[in-house]
This record gives sequence, structure tokens and C-alpha cells, in this order.
Amino acid sequence: MTVMLLVFSLIDRKVIFQTDDVWNKRSNNERTIYEYTQYQKYGYLEFDNYATFVQQKYRGLYGDSYTKNPDFIRDMAVVQKPSEYLENESVKEFMAKYSAKGYNIVYLEPLTYNNGRVKPGGTGYLIASRERSVFLRLWDYLKGFITIETVNDVKDPELTDRYIRIEKDPYSGFFALVGSGTTHKYLVYFDGRFPFMHWNWIHLNLGVSYTKYRGQQITDVINQPTGELDTRLVQYPALVGTDKWDESAVDFHKLAYNNGELSEMDKELFNDKYTVVTYKRKGLSMLENSFVIGLIATVFAYLLGIPLGVFNARNKDKLGDKLGMWYIIFITSVPALAYIFLFAAIGTTLFKLPYAFANAEVKILAYILPIISLTLPHMGSLMMWMRRYMIDQMNSDYVKFARAEGMSEGEIFSQHIARNAIIPIVHGIPANILACLVGAIITERVYAVPGVGNLLTNAINGHDNGIIVACTVFYTSLSIIALILGDLLMAKYDPRISFETKGGR
Amino acid sequence: MSEKEKNLFTFIDHDTIESERIIAPRYSYWRSVFRVFFRKKSNWVLLGLFVLLIVGVFIIPMFAPYDPNENVTRAQYFHKSPAEAIRTFGFSFKWILGTGGFGNSISYGIWSSAKTSLLLAVICAAINMFVGTIMGAVWGYSKRFDQVMLVIYNIIANVPYILVVTVLVYIIGSGFWSFVFALTVTGWLSIAYFFRTQVMIIRDREYSLASRCLGSPIPRVISKNILPFQTSVIVTILARELPYYISMEVFLSYIGVGLGAEVPSLGRMIQEAQTAFLIYPWEFWPPVAVAAAITIILYVLGQNLADASDPRTHM
Repeated sequence: MTVMLLVFSLIDRKVIFQTDDVWNKRSNNERTIYEYTQYQKYGYLEFDNYATFVQQKYRGLYGDSYTKNPDFIRDMAVVQKPSEYLENESVKEFMAKYSAKGYNIVYLEPLTYNNGRVKPGGTGYLIASRERSVFLRLWDYLKGFITIETVNDVKDPELTDRYIRIEKDPYSGFFALVGSGTTHKYLVYFDGRFPFMHWNWIHLNLGVSYTKYRGQQITDVINQPTGELDTRLVQYPALVGTDKWDESAVDFHKLAYNNGELSEMDKELFNDKYTVVTYKRKGLSMLENSFVIGLIATVFAYLLGIPLGVFNARNKDKLGDKLGMWYIIFITSVPALAYIFLFAAIGTTLFKLPYAFANAEVKILAYILPIISLTLPHMGSLMMWMRRYMIDQMNSDYVKFARAEGMSEGEIFSQHIARNAIIPIVHGIPANILACLVGAIITERVYAVPGVGNLLTNAINGHDNGIIVACTVFYTSLSIIALILGDLLMAKYDPRISFETKGGR
Repeated sequence: MSEKEKNLFTFIDHDTIESERIIAPRYSYWRSVFRVFFRKKSNWVLLGLFVLLIVGVFIIPMFAPYDPNENVTRAQYFHKSPAEAIRTFGFSFKWILGTGGFGNSISYGIWSSAKTSLLLAVICAAINMFVGTIMGAVWGYSKRFDQVMLVIYNIIANVPYILVVTVLVYIIGSGFWSFVFALTVTGWLSIAYFFRTQVMIIRDREYSLASRCLGSPIPRVISKNILPFQTSVIVTILARELPYYISMEVFLSYIGVGLGAEVPSLGRMIQEAQTAFLIYPWEFWPPVAVAAAITIILYVLGQNLADASDPRTHM
């Protein structure tokens, strides 16, 4: 939140136009007007243009034929005359209305600016704007953070039958939660794709991208599958049960409500007005890419790192342990960038593995180097901590006691030391798994993986304030969730820890 | 006892001052630290390398001023491999590692860049360590301050550090001092937190409690009872921090929120060479190797010094 406030308040808002083509093409007053509309879109301010105000006024008075009204034409043209616009009734009305609301009224004279020389010409504008405070914007953001679809979402009076109920799903052969009146038809459904159960019901709204993915929802950006269309033989809802099959990539689980008029073809193919389609694609989404690579790397790191740490602790100060320590020193002290490039160089020249993700002919091979690059450092740190905790435990009294009792070294290690030493390691597991959702910045950049790791850095380079705020919120909430899950897991694993308050101080 | 036997013994006066003297060898903390430190042969080697590095980083740029735009208008000198560069310019220290993407000298570049990186690391570590240890000492000592600081810590520490730094550099703009600011504005907090726990452990020891009961003022308890115990802790943190800031600079320059175009740094050199690191390897590997060497040497030296500064190893 603090960072959000900082981003909202401190970043020069003008930077969002640096890479904006529309802004670059426009000049003079048109550019200023464009800036104001964009600011309003991203919630920086509230803004009204005199022209829109007059249009609304005359539409209210004369209906749709207002454009031919002479008064309207006169009132519209008056802003082009700097000497007399203040005399006009509509202008006075406009000014009175907005100065009462505390708006700041600006008159842009019809002038053109060219290399510092000012000439008459161009179009004049009269505008009113009011800054929105940082706290209001924060409230707006948090208010729309989670949306749950309800039966009253569709504002179509024709739709009378509104419900949410469990129906048989013809596309998976299983059951699904189906809504009518909700934006999406299938709210909860199952299919063969990981994680098997899918939601259209609850949306996480992280905000809108400003520059990089102009105007798109950030949640959509990171969840959209990429790659070629996944075309299969399918049956449209109205044709289910007949023998008519079509070749198409439509994802029928993602059908959304069509607020407009249905075409003849839609009426033939669909039973209801849920006809807005999205297509299935073969590739993974940005989030899935990062998650798959991260998860495999984490699993490997734990599978290799913990046994190696135990091995090093058991052979303390022998050759194996010394080699392990040098590995740990190398991995923890050298900048990550250096060894990731080292792995890339070795992998591409010696093993002929594909380097850049996009150019890889066999997609599976492209995953190998990123996974290795993520596994090795993670494994190193796990080794280090496991060894450290094991050695700490080895010197404790209960181990000496167990040895005095005559237990074998193997028993002591597996039954006592390892069990105690692994407890702090367990605490980090949820954090490590959730961290896969954040992606890996350097690895993804080096191998050009289309993942979420570079969302933030690209946003910073592209001056995309929307994505920066979204990333901040996303990362911060993930780290809080990870912390809570870690504590819970540790309490489950270690009987000595409980979160209930015991008596005393 | 016979008279003869009695003569074998003589009486000695009882000397109260002499009896109070401790005959055990004098113990000096720092002398013991260095004795233990230099007992290891590898530390001599590392220290030698470290001195060479410091000399290289601070002396070489004086005699070899690095100008990245020296050949910027002469495209025929761009991307010269070491062999080609020596053929073109003749054999000299300046061109022994070839030229970069703008005809700049790589061997001069790495030293000037290493100087920036090392200075950055030292300044950030100094600020963070100074603020962190003082705040940590107060934080660990005062229970009321602890409550306030824990809330602040929980708010700030949950935001990933990399995120804070990148967003801050983005907001305040790039440059050496804004970089220092971004790295230190929340960086001291984790050090202070670590230190707080250490101080708390010592604070409630019996001897410290006794000292308080006998009426020692708080500054005295902190400076005489608690801080001496923390020397090895401070050195351990320092050993971790210095390489960390060098890595951080490399990382941030790589993702494009670097120090700015006018300051040469290792991260910047790596970032400029990384797109074609398989085609022009001589531009990419020297700065990487220097960064790796600096961080490894600092890390290992620091760890060994931290081990040596633990009084338990002085036996």
C-alpha cells in the first residue's frame, strides 16, 4: 500500500505518454485534450469538455436532431473566439456548474505552437478538471479488486430467467456451475487441463495497463494463453446431440453474454445469448510458463539440496563437504547474472540446447536451461541451510545423550537430527512455491521466456504505472500469504509450536 | 623436625598485592582475532588478492582514465577482438582485452567500473550498517520501541526488497546518489531486525541483568555489556552485505534501472554486452569475471574474519 501511494503520487504522470503513438502524432491543444482524457481514464482526475457539455444540453432540449439547431451551432463555435466566449450563456452555465463543484476551469486559446513560435489558428477548447486525491484513487482500486459475478450482472431487460445452478456440462461430461444473468455462462467447470477446476466466477482485478498492453486488464494479460489456435472438432451448444461437427478453436467454457443483437448464424449455433467467444490456444499463458518452470526447479532443488546438505553435514570437513562448501560460496557470492550466463554458454555450446525460448524448434528442450539455472542456486542455499541446521543439532545435548544410550549414528541422524533440522526448511516451502508465480527476472530475461518475471521490469522501462501498481499489490499479497501458510505448515510439522495463547505473559 | 631441616625453609612475607596478580597471559581481543585469522594460510592468499584488487581499483583508473566515447565516431574500431585490437593499436595494456561496442577499451573500462561498484557497495554497506546497528541496538533494548518498530517492520518487510529498490530508482531517477538512497532507505531495516534479536538474547543474560541492578546507565550497558558481544555478528553481516550490493548493482543495471549513462559500472558493461555475449565474448566475460572475483574475495574474507572474531575460536 505504501508503495502504491508512492507510485500514485510521486511518479510524473507525463511519462506514460513517452511511448504513446497517439500522443506523439497529436499536437497543440488536441494533445492537451488527449492527455486529459487519458488521465481521466486512469483515474488521475475528473474532466469535462465544454463541447460534450453543450452536446448533452441540446440533446436534452431537442432530442437527436439537436445538431441542426442554430443555438447549438452558435454555442459550439463560441469557444473559437477568445474575445467574446465569456459572454455566451452556455459558457456561463458551464463555468457556474463546475466552479461550484470545485473544478479548475482552463481555457485553451485557439493557437498553434511551433518551435516556440505561437500563431493563431487551430481549435480552442474550454475544459474543467478536478484532481482526484491519492486516497480516493487507492479506494477506487481496492473497491474493484475482487469482483464476483451475480445474476444481475447483465443489464438486458429481455433476459427474464436468471439463476445459478449446477447442470450437466456437455463439453466435459461432468457437472458445472452454470449461470444465467452472469457475465459468463460457466462459472465453475472442470476439464482435462491443469489445474482441472476452473473459475469464471470470481475475478481478481489488478488494474489496467497504461502503456505496454494499452488498456488491457492485467489479469487477462498474464492469464492469456499464447501461441497457435488449438483447433479441434467441436459441436456448438445448439448442435449438441446432432451429428454436425465443426472445426473450431472456440472455448465453450468461456462463453460470455452478448449485449447486442444476435446475428442469424449465432441464433443457429447457440441456444441463448451467451455468444461472445474466446479461442483456445496451444501455448501456455505467461503465468503458466513461469509457474511450470519455477515449480519444476523448486521440486528439483528440494530433492537434490536436502540430501546433499545432509550428506555434507555427515561428512563434515571431508572432501565432499569442502567441495559442497565451495559450490555454496560460489553460488551465494557471485552475482546471479554471472552464473546464469555461464550456464547459458555451457548449455548452448557444449550440449547444443536451444538458447532463446522463442526460436526453439522443440519447445520442451527450451525449458531445460531455465530450469537448471533456477535449480542450481536454490539448491545451493537449501544445501547451506540444511547443513547449518544439521551441524547445530549435532552439537546439542540430546544427540550426545542418544549416542551414550548406544544408538547407531544412522539412527541418530535419521530419527533425531534430520527431523529437527528440517523444521525451519519446511517453513520456506509455501513461499518458494508461491514465488514461482512471480517468475524469475534474470532467468526469464536471459532465455527470453514469455513469463511474468519481467512484467515489472518491462513496465518500469515502458513507464507503465498500471502494471507497476499491479505487480506491487500482487507480489506483496503473495508474500503475506506465503508467510501465513509457512507458519501454519510449521505448526503442523512441529508439535512444539502452537498459535493458541497459553497462560502467562 | 630437626634444626637442620628447619633451615631448609625460609619465611616469606605475605604480600597482598602480589597475591592478587593474575599470571595468565594477557588477552587482547583484536590480537587474538588476527592471530586466529592469519593462522589459516588461505587467508594470506586472499588478503594478498584483496590488496591487489584495492590497488587495481583505486590506482589503475588514475593512470588509465576510461573514456567510453573515445572512439564513438570511428566505426572501424567497434567490436575488435583482443587479437585484432593488438594488431590495430599495437600491444598495450589498454587494448589487451579488445574493444567494446563503441570502440571503448575493455581493460580500462573494467577498472573504472569496478571502482564505481566497489564505492557503491562500501557506501551503502557503511550507511546501512551504521543505521542498522544503532537502530537495532535501541530496538532490541527498549521494549516500547520494539512494539512500534515491529509494526513498521512488518509493513515494509513484506514488500519484496527488489521491488522497493526498482520502484524507488524509477521514481527518483537514476544516478549514483539516488541509487545509494534507494538501496539504503529500507535496506537498514533487515540488518536492524537481525541485530535486534541478537541484542535481545544478550540483554536478558544474568550478567547484564546484574549490571542493570547495580545501577549502570543504559548507554553503558549497551556499549560495555552488549556491543562487545556483537562484533562477530557485525562482521558476519558485513561479509554478506558488501558482495550483496555489488550483485544488486549488476542486477539493477541489467534490468535497465541502472546508474545512468554517464557513470561506468560493471552492471552497465555487462548489460551492454549481454545481447551478443556468444559473438563478442571478450566484451562480456571480463566485467563478469571481475564482479565474480570481487564478490567471492569479499565474501570468503568476510566469513573467515567473522569466524576469527568469535571469541570461542580463540582457544
